[in-house]
Amino acid sequence: MPARNLLTLEGTSRADLREVLDLARDYASGTVDRPLAGKIVCLAFFEASTRTAVSFELAARRAGADVISLSERGSSIQKGEGLIDTIVTLDSLGADAIVLRHPAAGAARLAALHTEAAVINAGDGRGQHPTQALLDLHALSGHLGGFDELEGRKVAVVGDVVHSRVARSIIPAFRAAGMELAIVAPQTLLPLDAGAWGLPVLPSVDDAVDWGADVLYALRLQKERMTGGSPRVPSVPEYARFYGVARRHLAGGAVVMHPGPVNRGVEVAGDVVLDASSLIPDQVASGVAVRSAVLALSMDVARSRVAA
Amino acid sequence: MTHHAPTNIPTTGPDDLVVRGAHVLDPSSGLDGVMDVRISGGRIAEVSENLKGLRNIEADGLHLFPGFVDVHAHWRTPGREDEETIETGSAAAAAGGFTSVVMMPNTDPVIDRPVVVSGLVRRVEGESRVRAYVSAALHEGLKGERLTEMRLMKEAGAFCVSDDGLGTQSSGVLRNAMLYAKDSGMPVILHCEDHTLATGVVHDGAAAALAGLPGSPGSAEDVATATALVLAAETGAKVHVTHVSTALSAALVGFFKGSVPAADVTADTTPHHLTLIDELVQSLEGMYRVNPPLRPEGDRLGVGEALRDGILDFVATDHAPHASEEKYLPLEEAAPGFLGHETAFSALFTELVLGGSLTLSRLVGAMSSAPGRWVGDGAGRIEAGAPADLALVDLSEEWTVRADGLLSLSGNSPYLGRNLKGRVVGTMVGGELVQDRTGARFGSRA
Repeated sequence: MPARNLLTLEGTSRADLREVLDLARDYASGTVDRPLAGKIVCLAFFEASTRTAVSFELAARRAGADVISLSERGSSIQKGEGLIDTIVTLDSLGADAIVLRHPAAGAARLAALHTEAAVINAGDGRGQHPTQALLDLHALSGHLGGFDELEGRKVAVVGDVVHSRVARSIIPAFRAAGMELAIVAPQTLLPLDAGAWGLPVLPSVDDAVDWGADVLYALRLQKERMTGGSPRVPSVPEYARFYGVARRHLAGGAVVMHPGPVNRGVEVAGDVVLDASSLIPDQVASGVAVRSAVLALSMDVARSRVAA
Repeated sequence: MTHHAPTNIPTTGPDDLVVRGAHVLDPSSGLDGVMDVRISGGRIAEVSENLKGLRNIEADGLHLFPGFVDVHAHWRTPGREDEETIETGSAAAAAGGFTSVVMMPNTDPVIDRPVVVSGLVRRVEGESRVRAYVSAALHEGLKGERLTEMRLMKEAGAFCVSDDGLGTQSSGVLRNAMLYAKDSGMPVILHCEDHTLATGVVHDGAAAALAGLPGSPGSAEDVATATALVLAAETGAKVHVTHVSTALSAALVGFFKGSVPAADVTADTTPHHLTLIDELVQSLEGMYRVNPPLRPEGDRLGVGEALRDGILDFVATDHAPHASEEKYLPLEEAAPGFLGHETAFSALFTELVLGGSLTLSRLVGAMSSAPGRWVGDGAGRIEAGAPADLALVDLSEEWTVRADGLLSLSGNSPYLGRNLKGRVVGTMVGGELVQDRTGARFGSRA
């Protein structure tokens, strides 16, 4: 069977999403035993990452796969080996799936041209971070009571959209799940043509609440956006006032989400991160089951095991 | 004559060669019809009917244009002869119908000292198939800090000065460089790009937003173009703005040409900015990275109209070879640049002339007469006394661009796989065929 890559969520469908989330739910409930037994999963991380790497490794191991991990430090990657050469090497070693994190958009797509293994994009530059969006949907459906409950919900995507691969995955995925989206960000944190998505752009989180947001999805703000050659944000207090999610925003029943790691007091007020209205812990907790499901589907072992 | 005129090309060639029966088109001399061209001593001797020479090229059904002139090429010599050499670069130029080329100075080492200039001039004399002019650097190391020894470099054979590849970030440095270049008697070719705005790798538009690529706004070019034009007007230097890629920069050039008589400015745009748009970067392929970046359709149309109307004077290819390991990468990590010489005429003829937005006469003028006038030396004209620099073209030939069919040492053409119409079949420099793709046709009848 040809490998099923997961490179982007641009163009994804409701049926695709449901397939992953249904399987993830089975895995989360522990009813499926070691579907990846005998499979080799390679983690190739060309960019520092702790949370995503650990989550993928746990997902692969828990599902029974053998895991090879190439991170920056101490590997051929650190010695400057190129993307394609690394992929070809992993392919030759018999990898069944390659989980790739890379600083340049399009890296996963290029990698997939050079291997028979399934390529899972674990984040490429500002491009895509598909498993983040999938685990977000898993956490949100869990909170709302099922995948079908996503339909018609309103999500405000808040913050640094221009630099965010998470934004580029959640926008098409949340839309495919039937949700209505808006963007909340200063223009300095948006692409010049932010109209490319055809979404309304709101001037503050307060406006997003007035718009009726059910979900406030805050993106991480790199502190260096405030310094450097052309600063994009004046200060933390200014940012937090207009683009930070605070307790007052959650009073009407909205929930807050964030891909992590959170800058407390910047994107999300410190007292809200672990609040009952926060799905941030649920997002992290969803990672392992969702990534196990993605790996299983990519190697086409999911259905047979479930059926058995 | 202190400068530049490349001396490798014989000005005395085989006597009495006649190109017979071609449709001669030269907008500068007004020729447009089937006639014969007699060549003697490397120059055009006569344009008339029913001519016969000692040797004849039967060119029925072909078009004969003045040889094309490309004021913007990177032949990667010295320093990156794995990507292009003077031999292969000039072969590629000849294959595209170019008979005169200006070589940009951003090599390794940079062409920023008299001894480097004279060394390169000597190599050109021995290795180039076409007339090749050396552009020296506008500032040392192209770092935008210290002026180069422009007068000494001119004595050493430099033709012009340029900041191509990097631009000049300080307006103060640019102003003094213009004044000094004017004193040295050399024109200045400017790469207009503000690095505080040009922080991305593609145009900052919808394609960049959706693909997740760092974008550089059009203002990165427009702001620098405006600065260059203001300083050109103030200094009176002969300034040529190269690779104009936005509608606004073209309009700025038009304003200065129309309303600021003190500004001695000309400008060019490239075949790729006239035929390709930024949607291509959604493929995320390194191939499509170029600087200035491919722009949206509105800019492509604006630049095309400016070329049609003469606001942009001519076309230059920015022929920029790159090794495959520098292009076959994710777009953000790839080197910027496209091959240009071999596809320029065919791409523009196919997309613009056959597409109905540019006349054949204007295209030929924009590739030969207009840049030829800028270079001087009688380039770009078909008339008695002019150098016999000519391009023979078959407008009906269809071909598919393939890397292994290109004479450049590199393969980074954005047109790979495309079907184009119209192809150069023979190129003559100083009366000598330097490119003859249909050897049988000419050989048997010569």
